[in-house]
Amino acid sequence: MNSSVSNQTAIANWLIQQLSEKLSLDKSSISVSEPLTRYGLDSIDAVTMVGDIEDILDVELPSTLFWDYPTIEKSSQFLADNYDVSAIAFDSDAATPEVVEEKVPEPVAAGKSKGWGGLFGRS
Amino acid sequence: MEQLEQYRIAENLEQDLGDPSHPESVMSFKTVMELDEQEAFPEQELTWLYNWHLQDYYVPANCGGKFTNFEEFLAIVRVLSRRDQTTGIAFTTLFWSFLCWMAGTDAQKQKLSKFIIEEQGALCLGYSEREHGSDLVNGGLTATKVSGGYILNGEKWPINRATRSGLSFVLARTGEEGEAKGLSLFMVDKRELDSSNYYNLPKILTHGIRGSDMSGIGFSDCFVPDSMLLWKEGDGLELGLKGFQITRTFCAAFSQGAADTALKTTLNFALKRIVYNKTVWELPQPRKVLTDAFLDILICDCETIGAARGFSVVPEQFSVWAAVVKYFVTRQLEQMVNDVYVVLGSRFYMRDEHDYGIFQKVLRDNSIISMFDGSTVVNLHALILQFRQLTKTRQRRKPKTMSAIASRLETTFSLQKPAPNFEPTKLELFGRGADDSLQGLEIALTQLEELKGNPEVDSEMLEKLIALSNLVLEELNAHDEAIAQSKFEFGHEQSPELFEIAKKYCALHAAASCLHMWIYNRQLLGDFFAQGEWLVLSIHRLLRTIRPMPYSISETYSENVANELVRLHKSDKLFSIVPIQLAQSIIKQEDKINELIRI
Repeated sequence: MNSSVSNQTAIANWLIQQLSEKLSLDKSSISVSEPLTRYGLDSIDAVTMVGDIEDILDVELPSTLFWDYPTIEKSSQFLADNYDVSAIAFDSDAATPEVVEEKVPEPVAAGKSKGWGGLFGRS
Repeated sequence: MEQLEQYRIAENLEQDLGDPSHPESVMSFKTVMELDEQEAFPEQELTWLYNWHLQDYYVPANCGGKFTNFEEFLAIVRVLSRRDQTTGIAFTTLFWSFLCWMAGTDAQKQKLSKFIIEEQGALCLGYSEREHGSDLVNGGLTATKVSGGYILNGEKWPINRATRSGLSFVLARTGEEGEAKGLSLFMVDKRELDSSNYYNLPKILTHGIRGSDMSGIGFSDCFVPDSMLLWKEGDGLELGLKGFQITRTFCAAFSQGAADTALKTTLNFALKRIVYNKTVWELPQPRKVLTDAFLDILICDCETIGAARGFSVVPEQFSVWAAVVKYFVTRQLEQMVNDVYVVLGSRFYMRDEHDYGIFQKVLRDNSIISMFDGSTVVNLHALILQFRQLTKTRQRRKPKTMSAIASRLETTFSLQKPAPNFEPTKLELFGRGADDSLQGLEIALTQLEELKGNPEVDSEMLEKLIALSNLVLEELNAHDEAIAQSKFEFGHEQSPELFEIAKKYCALHAAASCLHMWIYNRQLLGDFFAQGEWLVLSIHRLLRTIRPMPYSISETYSENVANELVRLHKSDKLFSIVPIQLAQSIIKQEDKINELIRI
């Protein structure tokens, strides 16, 4: 992991990655300050995505997290301020700074070809 | 079989309402058919129910009512709906009160309790809109904050009991369009509004439940005080979705009532009608159709009664369980009604023949149940979004998790055990992948293995049951594998194949619920239940919808189940895993007397 990447950025990158994969969007089209609903993520999807983060952080989060903090900027800030998010920060996809800077192509298209990549990885 | 306390009120109500096939009874088929023909609201019937104080069972005991558990509630609504779904639904709009029991202040609860119990008040729920349907967050009815309250503008449509209710739960937009936190829920007491600021929309003519007050309500610069806001501004969607978990589950009771009447009236015909020198019942094909219909009812009982009790034990799992019940039970019983009408022949279509033409009314009335309060597609979609979590959670189970599931399953499914009080604040928007029924399937399999050699259990039946249960497990494992390998996307453009996968999941869920129900109540619910032949046939029936299976698993079992169906019918017992005593049929009593005279 690149230590210069702050926790908030790591989470923001991870969220961008999630949205691009699960809404079939180009990452460059996702802005951290726009409401998530703008990208077609409806209110129930947003609740479901909380479950994905809980999986990685192994912590229970408010299910309305993305309702209360409806942009990537706000939600990543909230998570970084209130939780130990090192698990996301260590997540290889999320922590790759290039993801935000978009200098390299999407690292692994695991979601497209091999299911959800590592779904059963955690024991 | 001993009397279960939680079914006593339903049985009392049944006796007081009387035999619906007798024209003089309250809510008799004759009366409800006449009302339906006139498209008339069942005013007198509802008044009778209020005078009986049925409304008390919709108000929790700690709010001044008599509601203690949903198992009792389910049985009550079933008894109502087997007579008339129009009345059953019109009265049961009171179950929206759970929004207030869940989120109201003490003052709001007190007011609502008094309104329902003492003032015989009625409720409606204003969520949907003509232009937005189930797209709630884009609703056009707005609430603008002003000093001391809000100004409402806009319309809700189509709303059951919109006109004939004193109190409306209204979902209004207090924020931006599309914002999940942009909605707020108001408990609007119409008696306190300036009547020039709200209006009702005309009655909508419908295919079924024709006497219903299906209409709408509109607000025009209508001031409502802060005291009518439920919970906090912006919490409307969360509350609304949690409320749906309750009401979607209990829509099943309307279907159960319809299924009962459809099967009873068809049996009335099949047992008497002579064709080719035999009764219709004596012909193998119609007998099989009616026996399968009975199995459908038993399967749906296991799923629904399990869920009703589960509300007290695992309320946090109902983002899954409510969707399964609302999809599976209402659709299975809708299909069941469609399956049996061929036995009744062309009479199924007649409005004034055979039992006052009740069948065609049931057929029309019942077809709305799988649609309202979240359609088939809405519920399957809700499941699809949770599949990844469900699969992950199942994969990660550890011995400690399994023992916790085992303990919860026992409380949930053992009808003799008191279920804890329902705590609506424990409902969750999503269940974090937990689903005890299916995630405890291996527990059930172990319990079945342990029954080997038990003299109470027929070894051949048990062998079949274990073999079928292993197939259920195999299918569940295949489901998880398919989910793990599939690509997940958010949104409303899910692949049609996923909806089929979700239907299979529901069938597996029902199979698991049947197993748990049998395991924990084998010694409680009578000989027929204990013998388990119905269970073998039920699991077989469910599996046949999702994989190639032999047509029949045991002719003998089918015959035994058919005989039980007739026994229940002739003794006026409910077609159910808990066959409560129904009001005695006067016609059947006359038949018996005539039979005795002949002897």
